Amino acid sequence: MALAFDEYGRPFIILREQDQKSRLRGIDAQKSNISAAKAVARILRTSLGPKGMDKMLQSPDGEITITNDGATILEQMDVDNQIGKLMVELSRSQDYEIGDGTTGVVVMAGALLEQAERLLERGIHPIRIAEGFEMASKIAVEHLESVSNKFEFSASNIEPLVQTCMTTLSSKIVNRCKRDLAEIAVKAVMAVADLDRKDVNLDLIKVEGKVGGKLEDTELIYGILVDKDMSHPQMPKQIVDANIAILTCPFEPPKPKTKHKVDIDTVEKFQTLRQQEQKYFDDMVQKCKDVGATLVICQWGFDDEANHLLMHRNLPAVRWVGGVELELIAIATGGRIVPRFQELTPEKLGKAGLVREKSFGTTKDRMLYIEHCANSKAVTIFIRGGNKMMIEETKRSIHDALCVARNLIRNNSIVYGGGSAEISCSLAVEAAADKYPGVEQYAIRAFADALDSVPMALAENSGLQPIETLSAVKSQQTKDKYSWYGVDCNDVGTNDMREQNVFETLIGKQQQLLLATQVVKMILKIDDVISPSEY
Amino acid sequence: MSTMMQPQIILLKEGTDTSQGKAQLVSNINAVMAVADVVRTTLGPRGMDKLIHDDKGNTTISNDGATIMKLLDIVHPAAKILVDIAKSQDSEVGDGTTTVVLLAGEFLKEAKPFIEDGVHPQNLIRSYRTASYLAIEKIKELAVSIEGKSLDEKRSLLAKCAATTLSSKLIGGEKEFFASMVVDSVLAIGNDDRLNMIGIKKVPGGTMRDSFLVNGVAFKKTFSYAGFEQQPKKFENPKILLLNIELELKSEKENAEIRLSDPLQYQSIVDAEWNIIYDKLDKCVKSGAKIVLSRLAIGDLGTQYFADRDIFCAGRVAEEDLQRVAAATGGTVQTSVNNVIDEVLGSCEIFEEKQVGNERFNIFSGCPSGQTATIVLRGGADQFIEEAERSLHDAIMIVRRAMKNSTVVAGGGAIDMEISRYLRQHARTIAGKSQLFINSYAKALEVIPRQLCDNAGFDATDVLNKLRQKHALASGEGALYGVDINTGGIADSYANFVWEPAVVKINAINAATEAACLILSVDETVKNPKSESAQGEAAAGAMGRGRGGGALRGRGRGMRRR
Repeated sequence: MALAFDEYGRPFIILREQDQKSRLRGIDAQKSNISAAKAVARILRTSLGPKGMDKMLQSPDGEITITNDGATILEQMDVDNQIGKLMVELSRSQDYEIGDGTTGVVVMAGALLEQAERLLERGIHPIRIAEGFEMASKIAVEHLESVSNKFEFSASNIEPLVQTCMTTLSSKIVNRCKRDLAEIAVKAVMAVADLDRKDVNLDLIKVEGKVGGKLEDTELIYGILVDKDMSHPQMPKQIVDANIAILTCPFEPPKPKTKHKVDIDTVEKFQTLRQQEQKYFDDMVQKCKDVGATLVICQWGFDDEANHLLMHRNLPAVRWVGGVELELIAIATGGRIVPRFQELTPEKLGKAGLVREKSFGTTKDRMLYIEHCANSKAVTIFIRGGNKMMIEETKRSIHDALCVARNLIRNNSIVYGGGSAEISCSLAVEAAADKYPGVEQYAIRAFADALDSVPMALAENSGLQPIETLSAVKSQQTKDKYSWYGVDCNDVGTNDMREQNVFETLIGKQQQLLLATQVVKMILKIDDVISPSEY
Repeated sequence: MSTMMQPQIILLKEGTDTSQGKAQLVSNINAVMAVADVVRTTLGPRGMDKLIHDDKGNTTISNDGATIMKLLDIVHPAAKILVDIAKSQDSEVGDGTTTVVLLAGEFLKEAKPFIEDGVHPQNLIRSYRTASYLAIEKIKELAVSIEGKSLDEKRSLLAKCAATTLSSKLIGGEKEFFASMVVDSVLAIGNDDRLNMIGIKKVPGGTMRDSFLVNGVAFKKTFSYAGFEQQPKKFENPKILLLNIELELKSEKENAEIRLSDPLQYQSIVDAEWNIIYDKLDKCVKSGAKIVLSRLAIGDLGTQYFADRDIFCAGRVAEEDLQRVAAATGGTVQTSVNNVIDEVLGSCEIFEEKQVGNERFNIFSGCPSGQTATIVLRGGADQFIEEAERSLHDAIMIVRRAMKNSTVVAGGGAIDMEISRYLRQHARTIAGKSQLFINSYAKALEVIPRQLCDNAGFDATDVLNKLRQKHALASGEGALYGVDINTGGIADSYANFVWEPAVVKINAINAATEAACLILSVDETVKNPKSESAQGEAAAGAMGRGRGGGALRGRGRGMRRR
């Protein structure tokens, strides 16, 4: 901190604990911020694309995550540096908004900062650079619009959606059976989508995983899967055409919430109390039977006495079902959640074609399938896999695929992947740069260079010669005026992304560019960092 | 020997630091200048941001003078005055906080050589006061009124003022977009003084272009219980019931105890309790309302009861949101469900629950009284949205001030140059020392255009000379010329729509002069070390308490949703 001096040259303190604070300003602050952000981007760079590698992260309590998803990596890394945190948030925003492309956005921001550093060294004002980037991002976003394609799909023709989801999944560890998973994801989204309002509520898709089996065993269940079993081992394991009573009240005598006390002073009174209690149980079960329920799903537990009674009266029951699951069951079966036995009516029961309990392999774990529901607006994706990490990663991948499918339902424009969109933007921005007078021209050109870094990273990760590949594709694009040439990561033999069926959503790409530019501007605009010295 | 020595008279406690006289004055001025140097670089459209972390690990990235001053945690007594004037500028006009600090610093800097040369501070103070009076009169004279224009014209004029404020901020790239949003929201609440009728909601994700204005109220989905998803999520012309009671099965009296001697009566107690809550719920339904909002919890029983009857409900709505809904929909918040008459129910054209980024939002639009507006801000990072909110706050304040005192002046340093020229001219008519002081006051005012140039990386001397020449033209045509931030030359700020409300400048000059005079009039500081540490503790204590009751988590058997 700069010290001020009085007449006699004695320094005096202006800020609290001034000597313990460190301050970086001017170009040094910008340089250190940029290098922090670049360090974060460098970590993610190798995860980009179909041949990208995974990262293994160990949390403080020893839990291990293996993932390829940018947002997850950054979240788990627990970045401490302030600028690094901005990058984490950048990737998180992309995740919230689009769900996919979380690695790409960070790589893009890193590339932009790298270019900005070079310009700063030439003495260009940081805000001029940021403004130039902003102009360039506008050009690029407009250009993306012009090279985008709309594709038609309908409830019966989901092929285009599946293709796009496959592009997303191809960079994940699960790409072995990307076709199957993509189909599952698309079907799940189509099942819950409201095609008229173009809205998809992803809450209605439950993703459940269980260790064991193969990845190929992953299935889509038109109904709900609950990780619970029947409350009594002797209850039937399969119920056809079940009428389900969904309860949020426990199978026990009701208790007033006000503090209360029952004075028992005679044997008779005790007897009546005991009888009354039994009568409660009896009444409850009877009520369920009366309205025609053949299965009871309860949010709370019930004791052995009630359990026995239920068993005895031949009424299967499931206990301790969580609130979210209970709600999903209610939505799927078209039933109502009943808070009190007195309110049970036949109309409030949910209907399911088949309820069955299934056990897995040699383990004793059992799960409850509720299928063929009256209203199939709630579905479950059930993931199987060799180990827990695999399942967690599959869940994340499926989530990405679900988001992509959702975005396509909202807006069915796509651009072609494999870096082709970036290369074509880069060409467009480069060409547009010359029209701008002033310092911004340099920044716009730098933006074009930064755009090249995405296909370069793709080529690098695929083991290709980055510069050779990029220049080859670029020249091809300019020569043929065909903006669908990209990097042939999988060595298929053609670099026409249209033929390879590599799609990405238009809004995802646009969002990436805009978000990256925004954060870069924020970082460039800081010229003064004041922090306690221990940081 | 010892008896020969004069006993020293101890007047103050040991450890007390006293310094006085000219030296004290100069050191105070130095301190102020050091602080002004910190915010110097944030001025203007090419101003930079500061990243400040405190020892608790909170980080703020800001361009707003008042915010930075507050976070710097200044302990020097003289320098603290600057924090106060920045704050007062913030609460009075909302913008120009950097300007005011800079001006105060510059006034003192100009005064320093005079003090060192032995001028009596009171002389300086008197001249500064006169100068500030003259400057303010001049601003009033130069200000252009936008009164009496049509609404459309006024709207575009106000948008220009907002855009000038926003141009120095992080969201400057989209200033037109946000300026029109701000103007719309301010016009929506009309002349109402309640600023809290404009809600700003922050949702991470998306780009800033995705921000939008709701002509009504929007708030985040509240904590909900099972059954919520089964409620309808869209209504047209619904009636809205606003409550401040709990709709939950609970004990009616906290410390009451029921004693039963007959077990058979047990059921009746249970029933009685259920009846109370059912009765409440039933009354809500009977009122005809389709949407029930409560500041307190609506339990799972209530949620499911309403779901059964196709009613939407939300519990634990934040107080200010509920107030805003009440103002927008014309409803009144009820503390009982008895006698709910139609008059207390609100209504709106469309209610919808919508997905915004990762959150679900309840949006009430097309409200009859239309006296509310909500801005939903989007952005790539939390820090970004925080800063955007501060910037929008500034812009909102500016637009409101401009609506009330509808006069504007040319920005970009034009007005400062013009006053400076006027004061110099005036100084020449004065005989005596005062001439020098008013001249230096005039010189201090030039700091604004000079800093604008410095921040943009232009040659300040060159630009200032051009400006001085232009303003000195006898015809007066150059009076509106300011710094052209794009080319590094000079341009007619007024014609380029770089406008600020006159009140911002008036208040800034006033406050800065006051602060400068205050510091000049101090010639002794008595600092009591003990009381200072006590103060520190008190401040720390207050902070600790503040952090306490923060997280109000949903209790009970519901589930936590995102």
